[in-house]
Amino acid sequence: MIVLILALAIGILIGIYIPVSIPQDYSSYIAVGLLAALDSIFGALKSNLKGDFKIDIFISGFVGNTLIAMLFAYLGDRLGIPLYQAAVVAFGVRIFQNFGEMRRKLLLKNKSLTGEEKEND
Amino acid sequence: MKVKIKRPTGGQVAIAILLLILGILISMQIKSVRQSNELKNLEKARAIELAEQINQLRKENSSLKAHIYELESRIKEYQDSAASISKTTELLKEELDKVKILAGLTDVVGPGIVITLDDSKLPATTNVDPNSFLLHDSDILQVINELRAAGAEAISINDQRVVATTEIRCAGPTISINNTRYSAPYIIKAIGDPKILKNSLMMRGGIIDLLKEFSIEVKIEEASNIVIPRYTGTLKFNFAKIKSEGS
Repeated sequence: MIVLILALAIGILIGIYIPVSIPQDYSSYIAVGLLAALDSIFGALKSNLKGDFKIDIFISGFVGNTLIAMLFAYLGDRLGIPLYQAAVVAFGVRIFQNFGEMRRKLLLKNKSLTGEEKEND
Repeated sequence: MKVKIKRPTGGQVAIAILLLILGILISMQIKSVRQSNELKNLEKARAIELAEQINQLRKENSSLKAHIYELESRIKEYQDSAASISKTTELLKEELDKVKILAGLTDVVGPGIVITLDDSKLPATTNVDPNSFLLHDSDILQVINELRAAGAEAISINDQRVVATTEIRCAGPTISINNTRYSAPYIIKAIGDPKILKNSLMMRGGIIDLLKEFSIEVKIEEASNIVIPRYTGTLKFNFAKIKSEGS
């Protein structure tokens, strides 16, 4: 867990200090992709709590959702439909749902988290 | 959260790499959004600046116009004082005044008529070309032509003096007169014998009859005291030169 948070923090720092930024045209696609990725991470945290975390599902979902969301946004731009809004709504709702489930689990069961090493075998 | 730090498994490494990439993307995206906002603000500032410049130039323009009037009145003073010196110059000044009226370089006052022309007020109907119910440059040209034939000595359209170089030309939905655009209604003032001017316009089969056929709004008033302003532009001749004898 600590390794993961560290990785995220290091990534953010790298992003701040490299003198490269995303071209204006792709900015909106990247934003939707980021939302999909965040959704995957929340999903992973939730399943981790529940104890049915699968690494392959997580990675495939993370990469796949991100790419599909970007493609969706791009397609919407080409077709003149704001399809990215669909992605925003879908992932947004999912994130809140996952968050809610996590809260319930933590409050009701009141169990310490030890599922992580178990699931990764 | 109690977590024992041990050697991370392959899965954790994969997740860590993904998170690393995610972190990079997040901060890059934040940077790029900030940049785009800055750009938008720059554009706004530029627009404001341009608006300021326009206002500045307008002010400058009006002050320069005032300056022109001032200089002209000074010239007139010199001419007056010169005229009082001798008979020859007095005659010259009379000639100059006449020429000025002819060229439209002074305000003039006198009896005449005021014509108001406006687009038709009829509701648009199908299968009739709506263009034929609008005033065109050709209509105004015909009116001006008729007035000149009837001996109008000074003519203005919407207070733009009609001089030798005046153009009356269609410019989209407007008509350009002395390089200034006007839309309907057009108020044409003419100084001359009011009766003759009016009759020449109203004659049977004449221009007013034609306009009324297309239900163009026409109003003609006789007046005993019309003021027609001077031509405000500058007359420059880059090509025409006075031909001297024998050359």
